[in-house]
Amino acid sequence: MQGSTRDRKPNTCDYAMIRFSQVTVNYGYVPGALKDINLQLHKGDFTLLLGPTGSGKSTLLRLIYMDILPSAGLVTVDRWNSARISPRQINLLRRNIGVVFQDFRLIENMTVFDNVALPLVIEGYRRKYIRQVTQALLDEVNMLAAADQPASTLSLGEKQRVAIARAMAKDPLIVIADEPTGNLDREASQNVLNLLERFNRHGTSILMATHDYELIKETPYRRIYMENGEIRQPDSSINVGKERIIMMNRDV
Amino acid sequence: MKLRFVLRQTLNNLWRERTPATASVLTIGIALVILISLFEVSISLYRNLNDLKQNMVIEVYLEASRTENDAAGISAQLSDYGTIERIRVISKEAAAEIFEKEFGENIYDILKENPLPVMIEVRLQSEYNHPDYLALFKKQVEALPGVDEVHYRHVLVEKLESLTQAVLISGLAVLIVLVFAMNLLIRNTIKLSVYARRDQIAIMKILGAGNLFIRLPYILEGAFEGLFGGMMAAAGLILAHKFIADSFEAIRFSLSVYKMLWIVTISVGILIGFFVSAAAVGHFVQKIYAKK
Repeated sequence: MQGSTRDRKPNTCDYAMIRFSQVTVNYGYVPGALKDINLQLHKGDFTLLLGPTGSGKSTLLRLIYMDILPSAGLVTVDRWNSARISPRQINLLRRNIGVVFQDFRLIENMTVFDNVALPLVIEGYRRKYIRQVTQALLDEVNMLAAADQPASTLSLGEKQRVAIARAMAKDPLIVIADEPTGNLDREASQNVLNLLERFNRHGTSILMATHDYELIKETPYRRIYMENGEIRQPDSSINVGKERIIMMNRDV
Repeated sequence: MKLRFVLRQTLNNLWRERTPATASVLTIGIALVILISLFEVSISLYRNLNDLKQNMVIEVYLEASRTENDAAGISAQLSDYGTIERIRVISKEAAAEIFEKEFGENIYDILKENPLPVMIEVRLQSEYNHPDYLALFKKQVEALPGVDEVHYRHVLVEKLESLTQAVLISGLAVLIVLVFAMNLLIRNTIKLSVYARRDQIAIMKILGAGNLFIRLPYILEGAFEGLFGGMMAAAGLILAHKFIADSFEAIRFSLSVYKMLWIVTISVGILIGFFVSAAAVGHFVQKIYAKK
């Protein structure tokens, strides 16, 4: 079951797996963390979410796994939508989404194996199946040799590879990566990107937020630019720290 | 696999928070010893008190000059009260026999005559065996012509009654303090466990873990503390019972008493730990979500 979907062919189709319709998010008395966002993400896409710190990238990602709900508008993820979702359904939704964070969010006192196996344990799979899938994933991210080590003993690059393996454990609809290379050096960052690209080639949708423009400048993927809680039109320019990036001419 | 994971988390939590957990276990143990002892002592006191009340004999002594015929007349009057269960007239001769049985000497040998008066032994219906009615009854019967004195063991009954009450009240007071302390200590252990693992809880939420899966290790942690406290209390109580049985020949406990002690003490311990921690973990996990 897991094996068959893991080996699926790359496919980009018209079906909008994630849809944002006029989404606005206000945090307490601070309005406009996101302003009137309209966006569609398709199955099999590799999408880059770009923009400076505080531009609303993380807020947009949190809406997808319903860590927050929109103040106005509607977020639809596969068969779930933000207007009519119960806490129990949020749990189910999250089991279908893999999330990778800048700070890895591994359980440090658990072994590498247990960290990767956790989503499968939560789902209640059998032990034999969990062992099989976890070992295959650790092999894929080149971390099998460290399976029995506590996560706390790993290097930052290794931690992120383990976090990606954990995100992939349930063969998710999409992997959301929020600045996954933010704490990593150039080589480790490239490894993480390569890993995400490899999973995307096998059919997993990826949405990666980053402001590491050097890393992604040669990639052919769709780019979404954010600034001040809004999605900028293509062809406009955006100020990112010292860099001035000229937007690539791609549809939002 | 899920259960194995939850159990492993539980044992990890217990080991990690072993000092506060030990304090909880000790408090649960002491509270249970007091609770069960109080229960046993109260039951035993109430049983004795009841026996005493049920078998309370009121002795109505007639004047020395009165005969058995007079006693029959007075008995008839007493029967009209409607509160009497049984009346028995004890003649002078019967009284002398009772004297000999109780004291081992013949009253005629000592005094050359029998000064014992005719006596009427009265048992009241059980619902009238309380101190107020007994006092009224004594007063009324002593006013009857031919009655010299009325005796009953009211002092003993009253003392036993006040002792039972004192034991219950002081025991309950100690118990309330201990239950309060127990609640505080278990909550504190759970709080420490939850806060130490707040990142883990947040990660598990993002991975789609349900509330029960997240909370169960902490609830079981409390139940385990209750189990260990219960085992400690049961062991202490059984040793105390054996000591009492060895020290006083008249007191014997059957095997079923020991079995019940194990079962009841441990079950009560587990239930206390389970429910206190279940209430606490909900509270603290919600606090973590709110802070996020």
